[in-house]
Amino acid sequence: MGNMIKTIDVTDSLTNLKDACDLESGRISGKIFYDQAIYEQELEKVFARCWLFVAHESQIPKTGDYITTTMGEDEVIVIRQKSGGIKVFLNACPHRGNKICFSESGSARGFICNYHGWSFNVEGNLVGQHESGVYEDSNFDKSKWGLKEVANVDSWKGLVFATFDPESPSLQEYLGPMTWYLDALFDNQEGGTEFVGGCIRSTYECNWKIAAENFVGDILHAGWTHDSAARAMLGGSVAKVSDFEESYSVNWNGHGYEFALDTVGNVAVLGESALNRYIHTIKPSVAERLGDFRSNMIGSVSSCTIFPNFSFLPGQNTVRIWQPRGPNKMELFTWVVVNKSAPQEVKEKWRKGAMMTFSPTGVFEMDDGENWEYCTKTAKGRVTAQQDLFVGLGMDTLLTDTPLPANVYEGQLNEANSRAFYQYWYDMLNAKSWNEVPNRNVGKAEAE
Amino acid sequence: MEKVFLCAVSDLAENQVKKVDSSVHGDIAVYNLGGQYYATADLCTHATASLAEGDVEDDLITCPVHWGQFHIPTGKAQGFPCEIDLKTYPVTVEGEEIYALIAVDQALIAKG
Repeated sequence: MGNMIKTIDVTDSLTNLKDACDLESGRISGKIFYDQAIYEQELEKVFARCWLFVAHESQIPKTGDYITTTMGEDEVIVIRQKSGGIKVFLNACPHRGNKICFSESGSARGFICNYHGWSFNVEGNLVGQHESGVYEDSNFDKSKWGLKEVANVDSWKGLVFATFDPESPSLQEYLGPMTWYLDALFDNQEGGTEFVGGCIRSTYECNWKIAAENFVGDILHAGWTHDSAARAMLGGSVAKVSDFEESYSVNWNGHGYEFALDTVGNVAVLGESALNRYIHTIKPSVAERLGDFRSNMIGSVSSCTIFPNFSFLPGQNTVRIWQPRGPNKMELFTWVVVNKSAPQEVKEKWRKGAMMTFSPTGVFEMDDGENWEYCTKTAKGRVTAQQDLFVGLGMDTLLTDTPLPANVYEGQLNEANSRAFYQYWYDMLNAKSWNEVPNRNVGKAEAE
Repeated sequence: MEKVFLCAVSDLAENQVKKVDSSVHGDIAVYNLGGQYYATADLCTHATASLAEGDVEDDLITCPVHWGQFHIPTGKAQGFPCEIDLKTYPVTVEGEEIYALIAVDQALIAKG
């Protein structure tokens, strides 16, 4: 198997990381956001091992349709096969390593390297080179020099994930019971979802974890950070989350979802009454499909991160990947997700609404960007970086007698998911193999 | 004209292409387009590639290496990177057998 990817050996774990990441005491420190050595470890132990979101099936419907993205800092091509399957290749020629595809998306019969004319078909096989005769004279075996393929690709409800690590658990096992909650956005109607429009790309001078953690479980910031934006979009403040009678923070393997059961809180901030109407229109059929509980989640005040860097907001219907680009830099890839069966004008309103709120010029995104950049930049100071940061809200809120799956905590104004996210990150950095990753899940692995 | 045996009708399914080795005439690609048979040179006129490893789409053959295209019935190059037309050969079917009719190269005869 000449085209199989060569897996990397993880290097020694970091010393004193416990000081910078002590979740049992509910504290972290800024060092984990601004340290080059920690960042290098993340690329190896998190991004080269975990399942990473690479595409939505709807982006590449036909043979040869592809998108380019990154897994950590590794550039990859995600391409639909004749067989109907999807392959993910390193976007690098196996001759001198040159990048072979410069387009963000398209449809191709294959890729030709600009340097020495190595040509690869959709299956990744090397099919020709400039001056092919001289290779034959050197007994060159073309079959061994195709594009390097990632260890595993799998998809769940249209979301395509890939991993570089042949030892990683199955995608199903990795996501665990989080899929029960993901259904509230990704499987609430027959036909599932699709992405509309292209990829919105922007750059932040912040550490990727701050953004991922914001979506894993931080609704606390919204009422304060986004107050002015909410007034602009809604004519009033965002919903007062502490007034909700029932809300939850749930997590598993470092993934987390925080949510209220108010049905339309997130949708409302787009300021489009047609979207609120759509949510109310589909709600009875969602209740039939997923039950009453999850029908209250379809556009509610909520957010989610699948570890490490795939996040989304139900209701705003924005999907985002926080791509690491150094300890203090992040590239954000944003897409808009909609139900395939939704009316065209509803899809269009969601596309525009997401641009208005969560794009580089979006009113909410600008609020966040400023905060996240300075959370990172203060850690440039060596003394500041060592100081304790508080992540201790909701220490004793675990619910042990709930029918809900996963690790369930009471209330969404709660840092339980943030702690679980950083704990899983810490565990990955300290584990040389998947067997060494401690199982800290205490809740139900399946819905009752 | 020399009559060169290509393959049996049963060996070439519809909308398929097959390479026939020939050291004398150069390798030949034989095509079945909806029951109609055609033959062209197998070597792409642009770079080293066997067209028989490419894809037949309607009446075009797409080269597997740089995806240049030729019109199968006429051999006409369809555009960059293929700019030189492909040699084509008349085909005759006799019972179950497909043959190409290849003009004898007078220059080669003269050289002996």
